[in-house]
Amino acid sequence: MGTFEQMLAMPPSWLDASGPTSNVVLSTRVRLARNLNDVAFPARADRTGLERVRDRILAAASAGNYLGNALVLIMDESSKAQRQILVERHLTGQEFAEDGFGRAVIIGDREIVSAVINEEDHLRLASLRSGLQPMDAWRLVDRIDTELEQNLHYAYSSDWGYLTSCPTNVGTGMRVSVLIHLVGLVRSDRTAQILGSISKLGLSVRGFYGEKSAALGGFFQVSNQMTLGQSEDDIAYTVERVAGQLVTLELEARSELGEKGGQEIEDEVHRAYGILSSARIISSEEMMALCSSLRFGITEGFIDSVDLATVNRLLVSTQPGHLKCFDGRDPGPEQRDRMRADLIRKELASGNGV
Amino acid sequence: MICDECGRPATVRFVEMVDGEMRLMRLCDECASARGIGLSLAPLAGPLVSMLMGLLEEVGAEEAAELQGPVCPGCGLSYKDFRRTGKLGCADCYTSFENELRPLIRRIHGSTRHTGGIPSKAPEDVESIREVRRLKLELEKAVRHEEYERAAEFRDRIRSLESTPRKEDGDGNV
Repeated sequence: MGTFEQMLAMPPSWLDASGPTSNVVLSTRVRLARNLNDVAFPARADRTGLERVRDRILAAASAGNYLGNALVLIMDESSKAQRQILVERHLTGQEFAEDGFGRAVIIGDREIVSAVINEEDHLRLASLRSGLQPMDAWRLVDRIDTELEQNLHYAYSSDWGYLTSCPTNVGTGMRVSVLIHLVGLVRSDRTAQILGSISKLGLSVRGFYGEKSAALGGFFQVSNQMTLGQSEDDIAYTVERVAGQLVTLELEARSELGEKGGQEIEDEVHRAYGILSSARIISSEEMMALCSSLRFGITEGFIDSVDLATVNRLLVSTQPGHLKCFDGRDPGPEQRDRMRADLIRKELASGNGV
Repeated sequence: MICDECGRPATVRFVEMVDGEMRLMRLCDECASARGIGLSLAPLAGPLVSMLMGLLEEVGAEEAAELQGPVCPGCGLSYKDFRRTGKLGCADCYTSFENELRPLIRRIHGSTRHTGGIPSKAPEDVESIREVRRLKLELEKAVRHEEYERAAEFRDRIRSLESTPRKEDGDGNV
């Protein structure tokens, strides 16, 4: 079963840079939105209904092979700090961290699979994999879904498929989302044009932490917009194909940048490394920008004393909620920027392959 | 509701006959008592008044329905509320607001037809519904092209699918 602290002690596997095209793509997430057929959707259900939904889903999950041994967090019993950590680890949305009845999260080993209960929908199943692998992530989450539906009656119509709280998710209820690092395209001023053309292909682009966050450090989330009218395989394949093209364009941009201004880039990425490994105060925005440069330096072969997985982990482990928790109390913004710098120095000093 | 006379919040609604036409009026307390109507009306309760009150209620309900749009009997959500929040209330909303949702869903997804996964506990035999739907399209096409033999084939397959009783769930849990 494990505890919240044990989960925290292990970095999520989606950050380990082991998946395909990890030099550009950090992770792939596939989530399915599901609702039970006999209780109103969370925004409209009463406390009793929501708790009944939660208990039924928890029972179905505990009987299964995939989530049977997973960590279960009941939100009413979780601290604000713990909820913030779930947001920063991309396990729940920001809204879920606020109060609400009957909320719970199930987190599988190394955070590869998870289930969020009574967020916008009764159930959101997700799998998060390292690198670009929409098909694998979809197959995994599909197996869990198939197992759960043996014991759950989903709201479903033959016309409109899986019925969801928001009509933007109806049909497959499936969102494939790829976290991609387009530092080369940002530097070549080509992101606006390329990301604009992506929206014409039915995909949407957002920042590192979803809908409202800016694309800090050249990190973007690319995901399918339409959930109805295509099969799940087709949706996964489309995102895989378009993200694959982005990877190609990004690698071209990086090597062009390297040819045009190799020495300047070498200088810049080492400066970023220098600041990260010796600064005493670093804000979250500065960390994102410097880690973006550092990743660039590693993938272009300028820096070999740090590996990608270490940088990926810093992107999450130095977020405000994580820094609060390691200390056990709320440090406040100034103290937090010092704690962030300390943690980065420690991680970089321990070198590669931690 | 705002007073038709002075623009302050209205508390009274009544039907007035003007030149043989019925008109719905909304008034605040002050403007109502200035016209000699308002709370004093109810205790009279004569036959004419109750007829007027009946009319009033009808007009009021119609007006409310117009403002709110349809309401889902499953969860009580009005379509107007859905437009405000973007969130539906329950699975029944998809049936209750079908006419309103269809164009919206088409705009969002470019489609109104699910072709993806089917839960093992689907309420209907979705596979065969989908197959019948496909065959009917084929049938229409065959007729259009005057391929009557093919059309007959499609017709027979549709008939046989539609007459087959649907498969029972293993555990009888439908």
